[in-house]
Amino acid sequence: MSVPENELIVCPHCDLLHRSAALGRHEIAVCIACGHTLARHQSFSVDQLLALTVAAALCFLIGNAYPLMTIDLAGMHTEATAWGTALLMLHGWAAVPGVVLAVSMFLLPLLQIALLLWVLSFARMQRPAPGLRAALVVLHRSRSWSMTEVFLLGALVAIVKLSSWLHVVAGIGLWALLSLTILLTILSLVEGRFWWSLAEASE
Amino acid sequence: MSRPIRSLTAGLVACRTCGLVSRRVPDTQPSYCSRCDTRLHQRLPGSAEKTLAWLIAAVILYIPSNVLPVMYVSGIGGGQESTILGGVLSFWRGGDWPIASVIFIASVVVPATKFLAIGLILWTLHRRSDCARRQRTALYRLVEVIGYWSMLDVVVVGLTSALLQFEGIGAAEPRLGIVFFCGVVVATMISALSLDPRLIWDVERNSEH
Repeated sequence: MSVPENELIVCPHCDLLHRSAALGRHEIAVCIACGHTLARHQSFSVDQLLALTVAAALCFLIGNAYPLMTIDLAGMHTEATAWGTALLMLHGWAAVPGVVLAVSMFLLPLLQIALLLWVLSFARMQRPAPGLRAALVVLHRSRSWSMTEVFLLGALVAIVKLSSWLHVVAGIGLWALLSLTILLTILSLVEGRFWWSLAEASE
Repeated sequence: MSRPIRSLTAGLVACRTCGLVSRRVPDTQPSYCSRCDTRLHQRLPGSAEKTLAWLIAAVILYIPSNVLPVMYVSGIGGGQESTILGGVLSFWRGGDWPIASVIFIASVVVPATKFLAIGLILWTLHRRSDCARRQRTALYRLVEVIGYWSMLDVVVVGLTSALLQFEGIGAAEPRLGIVFFCGVVVATMISALSLDPRLIWDVERNSEH
C-alpha cells in the first residue's frame, strides 16, 4: 500500500477505499460506487461553530423556560413545555413513551449542546479538552436519537389540531424551538473528520 | 485512477465511530481503534440476524399499536377513544386534510416503508443477490433518514394530553396504543442501526471475473 492510512477514506456504506482530497467551497466528496457523501467542505471556523453552539444553548434555555403553547379556557390556563410534557407521562405505562420523549427531545439535545460547548471552548483556547475522545464518541453515538426537529413538527401539528376547537396561543418557547432546530441542523452538518482532527491536533 | 479496491480485500479496517483506517489484525484477538478506542469489526457482528429480530419485534408491536386506542378525549358530551387511523379519518372528514396527511405519513407510511425496505434488503442479502446494489444502498439511506419521524404521533399525543387538562370541559390522556407505537418506532430504529449496508457489496458480481 503506497498511500498512508491516514489519507484513506473507507466508504461506510460499501467499504470502497478512497484517497482523501482537499475540497473547495461548497464541494462534497461522493463515493464512486454507492453514492454516499464521504466528506463535505468545512466552511465554519472553531469561533463560528462556538458562536452557533452558544446560540443553540440560549435557544434551548428559552425553549424550556417558556411554554411552547398555552390555552386559556373559562378562567383556566394550561401550558405545555418539553420537559413538562415528558414529566406528565412519567407514571403508569405511559412512562415508556414518557422516558423516550424525555431522552430524545430534552436530555440528548442538552447533552449534545453541553459537549459541543466543552469541546469547542477548549479548541478555541487551543488546548486539549479533558475527555475529548469520550465526548466525541458520545456525540457520534447520540446523534441518531436526538429528535428536536420531530418535536418541532409535533408541536405544530398539536397546535393546528387543537386550534380547530380551542384558542391555542403559540408561545416564545415555540420560536426558540424553531431556532434551536435550525442551529442543531447546521451543527450536525459538521462532519466527524473535523471533530477528530481536534483530537489529533491535541496530541 | 486504479481499479477500485475495498478495505476488506486490502487488509484494512475502518473504525465505525471515527473513520480511522487501520491495518487488520487476525480475528483471534479483539482489536480497538487507536484514535477513539471503539472495538474494530470488519462487519457489524450478527448484523442480519439482529436486524431481522428487531424487524419482527416491530411488526408484532405494530398490530396492537393500530388496534388499541392511542388517546382518550373527554368533553361535555362524554368521552371518546381514538386509534391512529381513526384520528386520521376524523381529520380527513372534517376537512383538515393537511393534518390528516402529516399524521398519516408519519404514523402509517413511514413505518410501512421501513418494514418493506428493511425486509427487501434482508431478503436480497439472504438470496446473495448482486443486482441493484447502488439502489439498495440508497434504500438503506432512505430508511436511515426517515427513521425517527414516526415519533411524531407520540409527541402529538403527549403535547395534547399536557394541554387539554380542563376537567369537565375537555381533557385528554394517552392510552395503551401509544406505548406499543413508541415500541414500533424504537424497534425499527434499532433494526436499521443494526443493518450493515456493506454486506450488500460483499456479494461478488459474477460478471467481474
